[in-house]
Amino acid sequence: MEKGEEIKMLLLTGTLPIEEKSLLVDKIKFDGKTLYIGDKMFGYDMISIGATAMMAAAATTCEALQLEPPMAAVAGDLGQGDGSTLLYTYLTEDASSTGASTITMHYILPIRRGFMEFIEMLDYWEKRPFMIADAGSMLIAKATGSCRKFDLFTPDAGEICFLADPEAGHPAYVKSLFFAIDTTDVPYLIQEAYKYNNAPRYLLVKGPTDFIVDEGKIIHTVSEPNIPVLEPIGGTGDTITGILSALIGGGYEPIKACLIAAKANRLAGQLANPTPATRVVEIINHIGRAVKEVLDIL
Amino acid sequence: MQAEHTLRKAGFSIRTGAPPPEVRTGCDLAISVPSQDVNAAEKILKENDIPILDVVFTFEEELPPLQLSQLVKKVDFGNYLMIRVGNMKLTFEKKGGIIVNISGGGCPDIPLLGLKMVGKPLDKAPQPNEVGYTLCAYTLQKAYEHAVEAWKKVRK
Repeated sequence: MEKGEEIKMLLLTGTLPIEEKSLLVDKIKFDGKTLYIGDKMFGYDMISIGATAMMAAAATTCEALQLEPPMAAVAGDLGQGDGSTLLYTYLTEDASSTGASTITMHYILPIRRGFMEFIEMLDYWEKRPFMIADAGSMLIAKATGSCRKFDLFTPDAGEICFLADPEAGHPAYVKSLFFAIDTTDVPYLIQEAYKYNNAPRYLLVKGPTDFIVDEGKIIHTVSEPNIPVLEPIGGTGDTITGILSALIGGGYEPIKACLIAAKANRLAGQLANPTPATRVVEIINHIGRAVKEVLDIL
Repeated sequence: MQAEHTLRKAGFSIRTGAPPPEVRTGCDLAISVPSQDVNAAEKILKENDIPILDVVFTFEEELPPLQLSQLVKKVDFGNYLMIRVGNMKLTFEKKGGIIVNISGGGCPDIPLLGLKMVGKPLDKAPQPNEVGYTLCAYTLQKAYEHAVEAWKKVRK
């Protein structure tokens, strides 16, 4: 590394659906069948909706582009919050020593106190990391009025109408008028989310058309290839988040990273020739090729 | 969800809704009971090993109700039907009722529910309210119930 060159390190954090509650912090690798976090192995069946899909997609992208492999901070949590609490504590007390330049927060139980302690601690980091949130972490960011403490969210249809509705504390509470237009009038919902400070600087809104947004302004839309059957496949939103995290962690400019991720995710889906019964891991195995092909034509 | 089931079964007059804004975290759910029933409700929850996160006294009208019945969309993929309720999607194969994918949500019990439910027929899969704890799981339960109804119609 050249003197003065910025250190780039991507830290992906989320819970895993396993009994083991202890914290695990280590490098991520995915070989097409098994996800490795250090020596710990997660088999084919475990690569599903949630953090495993996001991490496998990020590791695949990093490998394809010869970027540093991402780091994981994970803990088992079956929904009661014990593993999530461990993660918040780690992020607050130890994560600054990793020197992470990008952090992606994913499936973590929204726990107000633990989350806020970490967000406040970020002000004390030597260099503030680029902060990405998806899934539960996006919900708690809105519930605590902390969206502007992040740099990028990756909401889907159900989540953009939640961000647009200033009174909703969860996507289950959105007004039906927002829900009715969550795939047909996304620009309006984006506008509303920014109006009430419920969006960070950048958004990648995932849907039949993907919207890439900078401070409320739609910079790009991506709708090809159009593969409607990707919508029901659990984890296809998580893979976009994984790809763009890898790209931003590797130094790509955020808007360009979003554009590559949106296109590559669709292309990987197309290469997998999916049905509504396809598993996300079958798509992840095409991400490396898809990312390279997209980069070749951009 | 377990608390809702237990209290209803015990005959309490309850209502499910969002917790008051000052204690809300995003993926939580509150159960309101008349203030005179609080002690009895706490007792029965403790007896059933159901932890209470907090007890807050508030006016009933301050708890926004859940209106998930207004947040339902269905997408027909030919051999498959996707039911979407709020931010949760459940897709099943029409002929055998096999759950082929679960998508959406953001809390730790959703990946677990995916592992436990996908690949199983609707009538044999564990229900989200038996396994989950969060509002995302509660929403998935509603998607599951709509899927069961839709499957019944398909089989007729």
